[in-house]
Amino acid sequence: MAAEEATEFYLRYYVGHKGKFGHEFLEFEFREDGKLRYANNSNYKNDTIIRKEVFLTPAVLKECKRIVSESEILKEDDNNWPEPDRVGKQELEIVLGNEHISFATSKIGSLVDVQSSNDPEGLRIFYYLVQDLKCLVFSLISLHFKIKPI
Amino acid sequence: MANIESEAVDFEPEEDDLMDEDGTAIDGADVSPRAGHPRLKSAIAGANGESAKKTKGRGFREEKDSDRQRRLSSRDFESLGSDGGRGPQRSIEGWIILVSGVHEEAQEDDLTNAFGDFGEIKNLHLNLDRRTGFVKGYALIEYEKYEEAQKAISAMNGAELLTQNVSVDWAFSRGPSAESYRRKNSRSGRSQRSRSPRRRY
Repeated sequence: MAAEEATEFYLRYYVGHKGKFGHEFLEFEFREDGKLRYANNSNYKNDTIIRKEVFLTPAVLKECKRIVSESEILKEDDNNWPEPDRVGKQELEIVLGNEHISFATSKIGSLVDVQSSNDPEGLRIFYYLVQDLKCLVFSLISLHFKIKPI
Repeated sequence: MANIESEAVDFEPEEDDLMDEDGTAIDGADVSPRAGHPRLKSAIAGANGESAKKTKGRGFREEKDSDRQRRLSSRDFESLGSDGGRGPQRSIEGWIILVSGVHEEAQEDDLTNAFGDFGEIKNLHLNLDRRTGFVKGYALIEYEKYEEAQKAISAMNGAELLTQNVSVDWAFSRGPSAESYRRKNSRSGRSQRSRSPRRRY
């Protein structure tokens, strides 16, 4: 366990697109020192950017690492995933120990998109991991700041 | 829009520190948006005797995305004015604790029963695994008072809940974790060449 905590860790997720409301995106990152940064920019109905940051305890960071490790996302590769397109882009960058992934793909509307891709197994792992991470981040941000993240 | 180029690069104290990089994740994070230059980073890491990272993904092949640098490196991220010290950080309406090791079939009632003894639970998030629909393995609980949260941590950390031992700890901290703080200090202790000031948290 102690060894696991000592491994290097960084995680960043981005999803966004550029359209008639400008660059709309959601992005968050976990840093090894515990800092969680969250940014959400929507120009729809003159909404403005939300930027929040808070330090997490090692316990929360460890839970985040566990979610990443158990997903086995590091075994995947984005080679056969849909390319980012006009509809949007997702990026997932993770450093865990001596592995560093920086994946990019299009937005995924539903499991149908996953199923019809060239790498449904890999993309499904990405799809669910992203949802689990978002779920964690939204809980943390909404409990700490009492805002609705989306 | 308000954050223009000059604001783009945060943590500039680290900038002239670049040659001292030992490629830790935090520092990597500051520069990582320079997709297209992963080699540089790896080379530096290697020079310091750390094994090079195995990299994978389009992010390393893409053009440098200047946007990316701007988005998370801006300085105007709001926080609840923590003082950068140690210890738990109060949230806007109370104190949040993390329960991990929660049984996948746990129900909200199981948690309210186990944690309601220490004070009124103002909020409970028991998030589900999106694929399986079972509990993901953690819960976040909010108490209004510090003492209530502290009591819950003391009493429940390591306790058994539905046949599993749970870990209970604070969720938020007033500053960076001691672990990375120590690591950073030991690094700067080595790198006497650096003229750059300490990081400011």
